[in-house]
Amino acid sequence: MRRGLLRLLVAAAMSNAVAVTPAAAVMRVVTTTTDIAALVAVVAGDIATVESIVPPASDPEAFETRPGDIDRVRRADLLVRVGLGYDYWLDALINRIGDKRFMRGGEAYLDASTGIPLLEIRGQSVVNEGGHAHGVANPHYWLDPDNAIIITAGIAEMLIRAQPAQRNRIVAQRARFLADLEARRQRWSQVLAPYAGAKLIAYHNSWPYFARRFRLDIIDFIEPRPGIAPSPAHLAQLIARGRKAGVRAIVHEPYEPEDASRLVALKLGVPLLHLAISVGSTAGTHDYLALFEHNIAALAKALGTPLP
Amino acid sequence: MTDALSLLLLPFAASVAFVLIHAYLGVHVLRRKIVFADLALAQLSALGATVAYANGYAPSSPAGFGYALLFTAIGAALLTLTRGLARFVSQEAFVGILYVVATAATILVVDRAPQGAEHVKRILLGSILTVSPAEVAKLVSLYAAIGVFHWFARAPLLAVSSATQPAGRSMLTVSGWDFLFFLSFGLVVASSVTIAGVLLVFSFLIVPAVIGSIFSARIEVVLAVAWSMGIAASAAGLAGSYAFDLTTGAAMVTAFALFLVLAGMAKAVVFIAPLQRRANLRVALLAVLALALVLAAASSLWLLVNPTADQPLAAMFEKASGLGPGHFLNAGDREIFDNAARDTVRFQGEVDRLNARERSARFQGAPLSDEEIRRIASYQQSFNEMARGERFVQDVLRGKARQREAWIVGLPVAAISLVGLGVLARRWRRARIVGANGTGRVTSGS
Repeated sequence: MRRGLLRLLVAAAMSNAVAVTPAAAVMRVVTTTTDIAALVAVVAGDIATVESIVPPASDPEAFETRPGDIDRVRRADLLVRVGLGYDYWLDALINRIGDKRFMRGGEAYLDASTGIPLLEIRGQSVVNEGGHAHGVANPHYWLDPDNAIIITAGIAEMLIRAQPAQRNRIVAQRARFLADLEARRQRWSQVLAPYAGAKLIAYHNSWPYFARRFRLDIIDFIEPRPGIAPSPAHLAQLIARGRKAGVRAIVHEPYEPEDASRLVALKLGVPLLHLAISVGSTAGTHDYLALFEHNIAALAKALGTPLP
Repeated sequence: MTDALSLLLLPFAASVAFVLIHAYLGVHVLRRKIVFADLALAQLSALGATVAYANGYAPSSPAGFGYALLFTAIGAALLTLTRGLARFVSQEAFVGILYVVATAATILVVDRAPQGAEHVKRILLGSILTVSPAEVAKLVSLYAAIGVFHWFARAPLLAVSSATQPAGRSMLTVSGWDFLFFLSFGLVVASSVTIAGVLLVFSFLIVPAVIGSIFSARIEVVLAVAWSMGIAASAAGLAGSYAFDLTTGAAMVTAFALFLVLAGMAKAVVFIAPLQRRANLRVALLAVLALALVLAAASSLWLLVNPTADQPLAAMFEKASGLGPGHFLNAGDREIFDNAARDTVRFQGEVDRLNARERSARFQGAPLSDEEIRRIASYQQSFNEMARGERFVQDVLRGKARQREAWIVGLPVAAISLVGLGVLARRWRRARIVGANGTGRVTSGS
């Protein structure tokens, strides 16, 4: 009887010991894009290493997986994706690995779009997710800084579930990041406040969340159907519309050919503005906050300069 | 309209320059029987530009051009070897290997260079629509220089292009001329591919030369026809691209193909002896008739076998004749079908209306809260689901209508077209027997 109790106590002490020490438990988190990786990094601090499958400055929608990616995902303790079809190639990778942890609802799988207020829900999706077909929403939701609150909440929850002992640390790290983000967010909004409703033309439809947060009016797109070069009729119409609406700048994103944007900017006599669509896609966007600092500064500069 | 004109003027000027030099080189390439050499050279030059890019040089910088030129020269040297290899293996096989290896190498290099994907996209599709005045000036001066070289060296260049073993020349001189030809060819293609893209450059090169060769074997006539047809096709492609709101490169390639088909038809029915012309016209008419009958028979049989499957021709017939699925349903079903069609449009309209409302709230009036955005999104999801449901109803009823249509329309059409095909086949067999007996056969006048 006493021996039994002792054994129980020892067992309890041991399990406690295991839980208390960080147990060499540097988690391995794998994300599909650098944006999600940057957000995981600020929440996890040094309790996890983070790696993005898509390298910085390459287009996640045109990504082709490599053999190394299978290994990378297989060894991950947590897999975080953008979702909404943006990183559709991950599905094939997960199926290939066949590990239940990475399936929908698995303990090592997080779709970061969960809970985001989605914009531009489209009808008719061919993709059938779990027997229930969803409309497809615009996937560029990380470009609204307020959505980082929701994204980091999901990340923190998954990290805490995997490492309950690190709960306080994770919560504190997230709170510190959000406080910094909120302070900057107010400054960003102030900087752009004078230009509320400013008319812009963007290359692709990548900026609805950004436009909503910072009150911009993106009237049209250079390439409305991704991958199909604009027709002359479209460009002529764009120039006429842009002139009439008083467009202030052309927003060009990395990975896309610049010719058409440059032509329209030239015809309208407005600046061609390079905005970063994701962390690391241009110089000076090494983390999530820097991404916005870069974009806000570039926008403010372009909109603040009076047109000739 | 002035915007349109100013947008199309420069691409047209560039196209004229492209046609003048490419159609001429196309004649050479056709004679050498290595039509894909341009792709191989263009891809090698792209590889050079990509290597430069990976090393941190802009494609338009002197270093970028230097790399492209170096790789083009290597390509020219490799293509020069194909003449020697022609005895053992088809030259096209060698050219093909060169092309795929250069393409794969480009992809591997791009993989290491950030934002290289944009570069590869440009090489494939080009962007002739946005060509700049400076680029056109550069093209014209380069092509003029190469044109002058080809004019003074026309005799040996044409000789080595036209024969596998040119008489009275040593292998070394032949190889020298080959190399010079491929080098100048590579220079032209390397400069044009970055602007017009691989697909369009191939069309500039081959299609006008082929059209010219249809009408004559004399180089002056071939060139005159090729140049005028090439310029006309470019103008038609650009105009069509504007009028029908199409992407320019693909529209121009299609226009070139259209001109080739028209030229082939013109050759068969216009530029020919009157007797032969009548025979050709009859053959063409019969061929069109036979094709129409085969299509009608296949489509109506498909409708009989599987009425609920996709019926592209039946759908076209319904649309053209106004005999929609509604006509083959009873009154009750027809009402459900019409309502479903109406509701699909209505639900889609609701989704669009909500999108427009959300969009304008981004920058006008009070911003929508996250909760309002979520509510809009969930309404949109519901409307999408409802529209999907209505589409499903339409599909089921359309299947039901087609099952009836199969008997009312499909069966008679199948019978008529099969009988028609039988008649045609008998006529054709009789005509062949007559032809074999030697009567009614007409020899070509040319």
